This record gives sequence, C-alpha cells and structure tokens, in this order.
Amino acid sequence: MVESITTIITTLGFPSVDAFIGALFLVLAVVAVIVVISTIKPVLDMFPYTYPNARVRARSGRLFTDKEFSEIVEADNIEEVKNYLRGVPDYAKYIDQYPLEKALDAQLAESYDLVARITPDNSKEVFKFLLKKWDIRNIKSIIIAKQAGLNLDETLNLLVPFGTLTDKLDTLVEAETVTEVLNGLEGTEYPKILEDAIPLYNETGLLLPLESAMDNYLLENLLRSSATPEDDNTLLLHNYVGTMVDVANIKIILRAKADNLKYDDIEFYMISDGYQIREWKLKELMEAEDVAGVVSGLEGTSYAPMLSDAMTEYSETRSMSSFEMALDSHVFKNGKTISLKNQFGIGPMIGFLNKKEKEIRNLKIIARSKREEGYSTAMIKEMLI
Amino acid sequence: MVVVVLGTALAAIGAGIAVGMAGLGSGIGQGIAAAGSVGAVAEDPDMFARGLIFTALPETQAIYGFLIAILLLVFSGIMGGASSLTTTAGLVAIGAGSAVGFAGLGSGMGQGITASSAAGAVVEDPDMFARGIIFTAISETQAIYGFLIAILLLVFGGIL
Repeated sequence: MVESITTIITTLGFPSVDAFIGALFLVLAVVAVIVVISTIKPVLDMFPYTYPNARVRARSGRLFTDKEFSEIVEADNIEEVKNYLRGVPDYAKYIDQYPLEKALDAQLAESYDLVARITPDNSKEVFKFLLKKWDIRNIKSIIIAKQAGLNLDETLNLLVPFGTLTDKLDTLVEAETVTEVLNGLEGTEYPKILEDAIPLYNETGLLLPLESAMDNYLLENLLRSSATPEDDNTLLLHNYVGTMVDVANIKIILRAKADNLKYDDIEFYMISDGYQIREWKLKELMEAEDVAGVVSGLEGTSYAPMLSDAMTEYSETRSMSSFEMALDSHVFKNGKTISLKNQFGIGPMIGFLNKKEKEIRNLKIIARSKREEGYSTAMIKEMLI
Repeated sequence: MVVVVLGTALAAIGAGIAVGMAGLGSGIGQGIAAAGSVGAVAEDPDMFARGLIFTALPETQAIYGFLIAILLLVFSGIMGGASSLTTTAGLVAIGAGSAVGFAGLGSGMGQGITASSAAGAVVEDPDMFARGIIFTAISETQAIYGFLIAILLLVFGGIL
C-alpha cells in the first residue's frame, strides 16, 4: 500500500512523500482558514444581538394576548382596569404611583429605555436619540399645561419620569407662563430648535408651531441618524423610522387639505424629507387641490392602497379618523413585517417596541372608554388597533 | 529524548485539528447560546436551569473532538506504549481529525444560534421548551456524522 501511495505521489510530480505532505498541509491550512473565516463572519454579526433579543423576547412574551385584552375590555369600570394591571408586574410598579395614563406612558418609556441601553453599538445612536421623544413629550406637556393654566400637581401628572431632562423638569414646571418655560430651556438643545417657532408663537399665541418644531426635530434626526445603512440591521431600522416620518408628513398634508390650507400654510409644519416620499414629492402633495388630490398623488407608493380604501370612508363621513387609523395601522404592520425579516438581528427589538406601542395605545383607548359613559364592550373592541 | 516518526507527527496534527476546530465551533456556539440565555435569565430568573441546558448543548462537539484527539494520541504512540504510526496511517489520522473537527465547527455554531433562539422562545412562551430542545438537537447530527466517520477511519485505517 505504501508503495502504491508513493507511486501516486511521484506521478503527481512531487519529488518525495515529504514534499507532498508539506503541500497537502499548505492546502489544508488555506482551506481551513477560508472555511473558518467564511463561517464565523456571519455568526459574529449576529452575536451582539443574541443577549438583547432574548431580553426583548422575554418582554414580548409578557405582552397582553387577545384573550387578556378581551378580559380588560370587559372590566366594569376604570378601577377594574387598574386592578387588572396591578396583577401584571410590568405595570404594577407604576399603577399606584401615578395616574393611569401616566403609568402607561412610564411603562412605555421604560421599554424604550431598556432597548436603548441593551441594543448593540451600530443601532445605539438611533435608539438613544429616540429617548428624546420623552423630553419632547414632557416639554410639550408643560407648555400645554401653562397655556391651559393647570396647577403644579396637574402639570406634574402629565410628565413621564424618563428622558434626559428629568433634572430640569422641576424648574420648568414652576414657570408661570409658556415664555418662562421656553426661557428655562436655555442650556439645552431646544432653544435653537425653537428659534423659528417662538416668533410665530409670540405672534399668534398658538402652541402648534412649538410642538411641530420639536416633533420634526425628533423625526428628522432619527431619519438622518439611521440613513447610513452599514448592514441589514440599520437598513431595516431606517425603513421603520422612515415609515413613521412619511406617515407624519401624510397626516399633516391630509389634515391641511381637509382645512383647505395652501402650500405656504403647510410648509413650516412639514419634515423636509421623507423615506418613500422624498422632498419633490412632498412639494407636489402640498400643492394638491384637495384630499382626493393628495391620495391620488400617492399612487405608486405603499401608502396608496390603504389610503384609497380610507378615501371611500372619508367621502361618506368627512372624518379624518379613517385616514389616521389606516396610516397608524400601516406603521404597525410595517413594524411587524420588519420584525419578522431579521430574527437574528434588529427584528425582535423593532417588533417589541412596535407591539408595546400598540398595547399602550389600546390600553389608553380602553381607559378613556371606561371613564366616559356609553361605550359598550363591542364598541371598545371596534376601536382597538 | 522521545523520537517521533512522521506518521505519529501527522496523527498529532490530526488530534490538534480534531480538538481545535471542534472546540472553536463549540466555543462560539456556546458563547452565542450563553449570551441568549443570560438575556433570558435577566428577565426571568426561573430560566436559569433551562438556559443552562441550552448553553450546555453545544458542548458535545468539543467532547467528540476531544475523544478523537485522545484516541489519536494514545494509539499513535505519542504518549508511549503503542507502536509508532506509518506515514499513511498518519494521513488517515489527519482525515479523522478533520472530519470531527470541521463537522464540529459547523455543528457547534449552528447549534449555538438555535439554542440562543430557543432560549428566547422559551422565555417568551415556556411551552416552547421541548420543541426548542428538539430544534436545537437537530444541529447535533452533523457532528455525529463527523464523529462516526472519524471512528470508522481510525478503525479501518489501521490506527485502532
């Protein structure tokens, strides 16, 4: 056998068995390196997501099922809803501490905070920026409270105890007027964001320019920070954020056109660029004659089919809620689709936040319905997203 | 000084590939499974035992590689006792080591990914435990193929 192997090696052109073995090792070493690198690379890409994904999947498992939602909807009054939530550890810690709506928002903010803390570095910037949502929400609540003349306790009940401005909130709530609140923001990034909106507020006394400037700042920067796709994960994140931006823009234009507003009236409130709907298309939509013109202008985008259906309902009722529900539902469906696309990457985190937003929104709908008279169980179920 | 012939030296390389590659796959797989399990335990401390089971599963590939490496070392004469191997037998030993090593590399990483997902699925829905174990165990088959071929090579290649 040894002779036959030696003959084969010699016929292959190797001067000796040792030379053949040396060449064989070289080839094996190269093959081994190629195999190891090509198999390890994709595995290492998914490695940073394994820990955060397990955590968010644990939280996803604690979200309410349809059956549990039915039980909450069937509660006789708001106290029963609160009692139900007291039995759920994620909500229990906030329910007795805050009014119900604030408790729900605090739980949602905690979920965003968790994801921002545990997400891997390449998506951290976007999720960290997303936490400004709570700063903006708190500033908006304070200026609305000051405008409405709410007292200190009523104002505090509107604030969510999350975000980066928590230390400053105590000073802001003690302000007497909206202008004092705005002055109190010195030293933060917000005075610069509001520099165009403040003169408009001073001129009209309306809070809308201030609110819009802050909302746009959040969405524009989220879109920008997720716009440099390094890999599949950031690409999906950009899609998720981009859809939120597009939906925000479409809602503004539809509402404006329903009120017969023109291009110049709307421009200030728009986010300058979008995801599917880019700047030139936004201009075209803003110049549309009416709501039907906006809907037909969106032909060819993924928003067209659901808006066409909502248009039929709008023609009958003249209510914007058909568009708003269709667009909100689209955002949730898009989030769900994205969450299923990259199960070993960012998918579960987007899926979790998406489902959590939906859960909180549905709980708020139930809470509102239980506070007011005349909502049957069937009606509440109809209103849920 | 112990004189090591070429055949025995080749068997030693085979042993190195067996335990090295299998250990690499097993280590990466176990790291992925452990990261997922730690995440699950952070949210639900009752997941500790189940997380440990999922983390332990990708260990088997390293055990297969270790066993083949020990057999190679014992029967190649490098640890004394047995007679030295011929060059041909040494090449067979490299084949055996590569079989269990590379099979263990792929199997270990695959099993780690599945184990991590299964830990996530179980913490989301505890009823997923048995199904998670079954899915995770499927990746074991490639390592078993490699291990069986390595044993057959050792037996019929004249080493054992």
